[in-house]
Amino acid sequence: MVLWFISTYNFFVSAKGRIKGAVQEIGNQLKRQADLIPNLESSVKGYLKHEKGILDKLADVRREIAQAVASDNVQKMSDAGSKLASILPSIKVVVEDNPELKGSDVVTKLMDELRDTADKIMYARRLVIDLTVDYNVRRQTFPSNFVANMLKLEELPGLITPEKGEHLEVSEAETKTPSIKL
Amino acid sequence: MINVYEAVSANKTKSYFIVALFFVFVTLVVYVLGQSFGYYLGYAPGGIGYVGLALIVSGLMSLGGYYFSDKIVLSISKARPANRKKDFTFYTVVENLCIGTGLPKPKLYVIDDSAPNAFATGRDPEHAAICATTGLLEKLTRSELEGVLAHELSHVKNYDTRLMAIVAVLVGMVALMGDWFLRTMWWGGKDRDRDEDSKLGAIFIVLGIVFAILSPIIAQLIQLAVSRRREFLADAGSVEITRQPESLISALDKISADHEPLEVANKATAHLYIVNPFKGGISGRGPSTALKMVNQFAGLFNTHPPVSERIKALKTMV
Repeated sequence: MVLWFISTYNFFVSAKGRIKGAVQEIGNQLKRQADLIPNLESSVKGYLKHEKGILDKLADVRREIAQAVASDNVQKMSDAGSKLASILPSIKVVVEDNPELKGSDVVTKLMDELRDTADKIMYARRLVIDLTVDYNVRRQTFPSNFVANMLKLEELPGLITPEKGEHLEVSEAETKTPSIKL
Repeated sequence: MINVYEAVSANKTKSYFIVALFFVFVTLVVYVLGQSFGYYLGYAPGGIGYVGLALIVSGLMSLGGYYFSDKIVLSISKARPANRKKDFTFYTVVENLCIGTGLPKPKLYVIDDSAPNAFATGRDPEHAAICATTGLLEKLTRSELEGVLAHELSHVKNYDTRLMAIVAVLVGMVALMGDWFLRTMWWGGKDRDRDEDSKLGAIFIVLGIVFAILSPIIAQLIQLAVSRRREFLADAGSVEITRQPESLISALDKISADHEPLEVANKATAHLYIVNPFKGGISGRGPSTALKMVNQFAGLFNTHPPVSERIKALKTMV
């Protein structure tokens, strides 16, 4: 009984610690990204002179990330991270449209690095989500909920996502099998 | 439809069961060999001394194997360490998966072989190593590679690599003991009076011989069953990390469609790989029941479940 209490108590304390660490990891990865993007920009600048669109988008993302990191707000950081992931497809389109870009090592490297940094942030967020779910479930399930109540542990938000809205609804159009015309 | 978490916990329960079975089996073998040895040498039941000795010696030999398993395997497989520049995708994908799971980054190795395959080894996550062939790195897309490497990483996370090391140690011990027992039989036992308890003694000796011959085979079969079970668990674990069953499915399709055998793999290391490195064998498409039975029997000797079954299990998670 005492052993059980100790191990449950330790679970909650270490879970909290790990979640905190995981949140900091998001910040860490965003910082890495903020440092990485200018470097990538300068390495492809000469090459992509005529594709100002890509460079502008990258610059925008970089600015937002820098702001988010400075604000120290987890949610903002995470939003900025998804921003990069969302511009990746449009960069890809530009690259696909220009065969001479597609074959070049510089551009391949750019795409690789961008995907990698986007993935890193996605996985850093994944860890926060997984750890928080684990913590919140143990907080409420029997019998560990006794320990949680005794310690007055509160539910942790994890990654804040609105629980209502478009992302949880399937519209009429989305239920249809997409047809692709070439 | 079962979700990923359920699949992982169901697989864990089954694996515990198999390991428990293994321990019971090893104890039984030790007991029977001990009894039979005792009768053989003339002094009744207390023959544990000899088998105990066998246990200690083979145990020590296997312990060395357990601690240095990663280095041994990597050197047998002729692997070179990976670096970020040369193996960008491999290196960064593992790095990212480790961020997602909170595991320390394992050591990474590359085998120069065009057959696509990968394996994980090491006794715990701190001493883990993941090894991929150049064929795998070249033939798969980044997403597919993520699926495969997440599979390997969940072998590490679930301590499969340790379990397999322990099971390999147990199999080795049983085989060594059986071997030892059979050898001493040739030397001839102590002179003894063939009186009333010799009947029981004879039964134990016969049983001992049967056990000595069969137990290494049975041990091997249990090892293979453990290994097959673990593959399903690691597949479920991979999906838990990447949430992309499709990419692992297409990776498995690609790997199994490739019929090139992996040159550096041997029977001792086969169970480590993501897909059995020895391709071929009896194809499983025949409709006749006879062929099906042959397949089921042949299946007992497989290190891996058939890829089609693994894909079927993965599709329930989509």
